[in-house]
Amino acid sequence: MSTPNEPQNPYGSGDPQQPQDPSGAPQYPAAPPPYSQGPAEPPAYPGAGAPQYPGAASPQYPSATPYGSAPGGYAQPGPGYGAAYPKNSLAIWSLVLGIVSFVLGCGLFTGIPAIIVGNNAKKAVARGEANNGGMATAGVILGWIAIVLSVLTIILFAILFANADFRDAFNEGYNTNY
Amino acid sequence: MTTVDDGQQPQPTGPLLPDAPASDGAGRRASLTAPLVTGGVVVLATVLLAVRDPHVPHSYGGCPLYVLTGLWCPACGGLRATHDLAQGDLAGAWSMNPLWVLAVPVVLVLWGRWVSRAARGRRAGPAPVWGAWVLLVAVVGFGVLRNVPAFAPWLAP
Repeated sequence: MSTPNEPQNPYGSGDPQQPQDPSGAPQYPAAPPPYSQGPAEPPAYPGAGAPQYPGAASPQYPSATPYGSAPGGYAQPGPGYGAAYPKNSLAIWSLVLGIVSFVLGCGLFTGIPAIIVGNNAKKAVARGEANNGGMATAGVILGWIAIVLSVLTIILFAILFANADFRDAFNEGYNTNY
Repeated sequence: MTTVDDGQQPQPTGPLLPDAPASDGAGRRASLTAPLVTGGVVVLATVLLAVRDPHVPHSYGGCPLYVLTGLWCPACGGLRATHDLAQGDLAGAWSMNPLWVLAVPVVLVLWGRWVSRAARGRRAGPAPVWGAWVLLVAVVGFGVLRNVPAFAPWLAP
């Protein structure tokens, strides 16, 4: 919209921001600092700050232009502009793995990943990169329950199979060498 | 040998692969150790399954769900399918656990991507959310359908 105006912009000579845009744009996607600054700046900014800038800046650079033209205080909510909580998928994975471990006969093999991913999701929540900590807790709890049930089942099987009568009854109809 | 449930062994690699690299939030440089160790363990398990036939009843224990309820869980037949695949018997593997046969190529591709990314020192981003939903729907749906008598001839082990 304003792109064709940029080359012939009468204010361009007096505007110090324009030359900075091309050089400033590539820095932000690659720079990790915005992520570490996330907790310092509450996530209320992305929603509030986003609508203000497009009017003042070229829509061609929806994520880059605001940083170049904005005062320093507004540059920090940048990571929230595209995706407010980029690590929310971790908790969803944790919950899904926890549920799947109950569908499977032996939940050890998805219960353990559910706990690992869920704990990482909680760390992401602590860093301000995710906001679904409850879902992560659910995934971790489901994973632990699945592990406990699996271990109890294995112990139960081991005890039962040590009993010759049970083993014979269990193998009834089967021809097994084991 | 162990009381590991029949069909559980292959399952973990599916969800594990996309998660393991994604779960590390720190900016540490990825190394090849994790994917190569994972691959080695899977290869060893596959060789064991190829040599020691899981078609023999209770050779690897039994599925707790099947023993307790008589229902087939989504992973039932997974060990037998892996054995058949390792022997080159695609039809036999398909008759044991079609979902696992479909999942094996996906797992291999994900593992290959994991290795190639780690070789370049890159970490995978968070696994996409739609992958989690696909996994949930596939596993739960398959577990339900293979216990429906109408579908059992095709889906049950």
